[in-house]
Amino acid sequence: MTSVAFTAHLSTATTNQKSNEFRRETLKTFVGLRKTTPVNHHSISLTKSLPNRQFNRSLRIVAGKSSPKVTSRNLRVAVIGGGPAGGAAAETLAKGGIETFLIERKLDNCKPCGGAIPLCMVGEFDLPLDIIDRRVTKMKMISPSNVAVDIGQTLKPHEYIGMVRREVLDAYLRDRAATSGATVINGLFLKMDMPEASNAPFVLHYTAYDGKTGGAGVRRTLEVDAVIGADGANSRVAKSIGAGDYDYAIAFQERIKISDEKMTYYENLAEMYVGDDVSPDFYGWVFPKCDHVAVGTGTVTHKGDIKKFQLATRNRAKDKIFGGKIIRVEAHPIPEHPRPRRLAGRVALVGDAAGYVTKCSGEGIYFAAKSGRMCAEAIVEGSEKGTRMIEEGDLRKYLEKWDKTYWPTYKVLDVLQKVFYRSNPAREAFVEMCADEYVQKMTFDSYLYKKVVPGNPLDDIKLAINTIGSLVRANALRREMDKITL
Amino acid sequence: MASIAIPASLKIACSSHHVIKKQQSQAKPGCCFGAKQATHVVTVDVEGKRMLNIAEQQENASVHNKGPKGVEGESEHVMDTGSSVPKLFHDARWKNGTWDLNMFVKDGKMDWDGVIVAEARRRKFLEMHPQVSTNQAPVLFRSSIIPWWAWIMRSHLPEAELLNGRAAMVGFFAAYLVDALTGLDMVGQTGNFICKTGLFMIVLGIILFRRTKDLGNLQKLVDEATFYDKQWQASWQNPDASNGTSEQSQKDYYADADKECQECEMGNMGFYGN
Repeated sequence: MTSVAFTAHLSTATTNQKSNEFRRETLKTFVGLRKTTPVNHHSISLTKSLPNRQFNRSLRIVAGKSSPKVTSRNLRVAVIGGGPAGGAAAETLAKGGIETFLIERKLDNCKPCGGAIPLCMVGEFDLPLDIIDRRVTKMKMISPSNVAVDIGQTLKPHEYIGMVRREVLDAYLRDRAATSGATVINGLFLKMDMPEASNAPFVLHYTAYDGKTGGAGVRRTLEVDAVIGADGANSRVAKSIGAGDYDYAIAFQERIKISDEKMTYYENLAEMYVGDDVSPDFYGWVFPKCDHVAVGTGTVTHKGDIKKFQLATRNRAKDKIFGGKIIRVEAHPIPEHPRPRRLAGRVALVGDAAGYVTKCSGEGIYFAAKSGRMCAEAIVEGSEKGTRMIEEGDLRKYLEKWDKTYWPTYKVLDVLQKVFYRSNPAREAFVEMCADEYVQKMTFDSYLYKKVVPGNPLDDIKLAINTIGSLVRANALRREMDKITL
Repeated sequence: MASIAIPASLKIACSSHHVIKKQQSQAKPGCCFGAKQATHVVTVDVEGKRMLNIAEQQENASVHNKGPKGVEGESEHVMDTGSSVPKLFHDARWKNGTWDLNMFVKDGKMDWDGVIVAEARRRKFLEMHPQVSTNQAPVLFRSSIIPWWAWIMRSHLPEAELLNGRAAMVGFFAAYLVDALTGLDMVGQTGNFICKTGLFMIVLGIILFRRTKDLGNLQKLVDEATFYDKQWQASWQNPDASNGTSEQSQKDYYADADKECQECEMGNMGFYGN
């Protein structure tokens, strides 16, 4: 099928050259201007999404996929949502020569968030070191029976987990997008009119605030050729394209200001509490922020009991946060898995809107920014820097690349969550395993650099044996516990 | 201790009900500290408990006094934990965050069974009454200190004995039955391929499905292991909803492509005609 496309392309190319002066307008639409490889990619990626019309499709692609050149203007793309995903996407789009509109409803939004970013994000996104409030180099894992294990001894001096304030990070990325040429619009996205014809634009309806807070705002519309939905877990873009639902966890967090001497304990240390009292399927945390700590917990299955879990988390950390004053209470949904449809036509979802949050650790900032960037890169490439109209195939390339690069990471974390967060014995085993140096090294390497690196096979076998041993011991103790009545 | 707690609680008395909860929970650490330091010496425990009781009574009184309607439900809840949180784990053999193994010697030998039971009690207690994790009294005990054979002797061997006993009885009668039906005696049965495969399947079945609910469990495990994959692959499958829109756009593409092709064809003919 690709060979047919190829020959069809060749024949048109040769005739093109001969008939140059005759059809100047139609020439622009012909595929002779494109190289062969992108065409093949298009036929492959399109057939992936529509398996039943392979033969005809490939023929059509050559002529139609010559993609009408967007004359007299650049491709217009709107990015809905100005968080890490939106900011990164808008910057890459703007740098790629595309007319970018970044629509954000609240420019000073303080999104409830753990705020942890891996080391690789600082390098990959050129983040200035002053937006990182704290560098966490030690972590304490605390089991249900209060066995506390310190991890982080294997970190090298230049390695750390960065703690950021979301309002600072988001603003920085948005401003960088603006300086690269994106237009930042302060408005609330309402709905989107789908294009009637194949190359017709999307019409976005939004309420423009223009920086005025509390005002009713002015309803405006915007015509764009493609949309990137980066508007978070409650994405309206996702609803517009019928992306489907996902399971989500509720993360509940209280920001507590504690005394300075207690704060020195959390200077560069974060704590994770596991246990049925703290969360049935997640963990409770104490993360240090700029001048206070964030104490929180989360759950998927028992959302109604979140306040109880929060109390239990505060109770377990009571000693260390004693006398603290709660300055803010916040909660937010966290997606557990990607939405069934992450793109439709010329609309793609990135970040939390797509559901790119890992299990086990609940990390989302890095993946949001990276997916925004990847999607934008796919658009820039597919449109040849804004000169051509893109189509679904170009966006599918972003999905392919994303799934291929990060699927192992997501799967491994899913397995870890399923094995180690299911019951108290499993959590005890988990904390016991964390004391092992090899485990710490592997964990941090994969977390900080986002690469699942296979370690030394002998050590892996030893680790497997130790894990099984820990699980067996913990479950044996559980059986003993069941026999006892206190 | 209690005096330190009170000014701290006064500071935040004028905030939301969340903070009132915190205040109530903060009243307790004062008692906890006193009791914790007492655990090192067994005799002072009694005094510690008495202190806790007094503090509890004070707390109960204070809880009844303050708290608007909305908080009452939560304060009741806090009261419950309030009465159990000061209940610390006490055991004569638990010293400095670990079990004193010298106290588990029985008849001149190390009594690992006793250690296992004691640790199970401690974990059960903590599960029922979760406690503050402090740096002053960290838990240093690791269950890996118990040797592997102690686990086997305690939990695996009794069950193994039971299963082997049952297998022996069933095996005896199965051999008798097969002999009566086919005439193969014991030696003949062990040489026969069918008998050997039958035996193998039975052993495998017993290992995998010890109870009837294990069947359902295994199915659930398989589902669980592949569920996440299915959620990720959903983007690559074509649900019916998407078919509608994509087909529409397909038709449009076709229409455009058709038009261009026709022009090209006509142009070609025109050129060649010249």
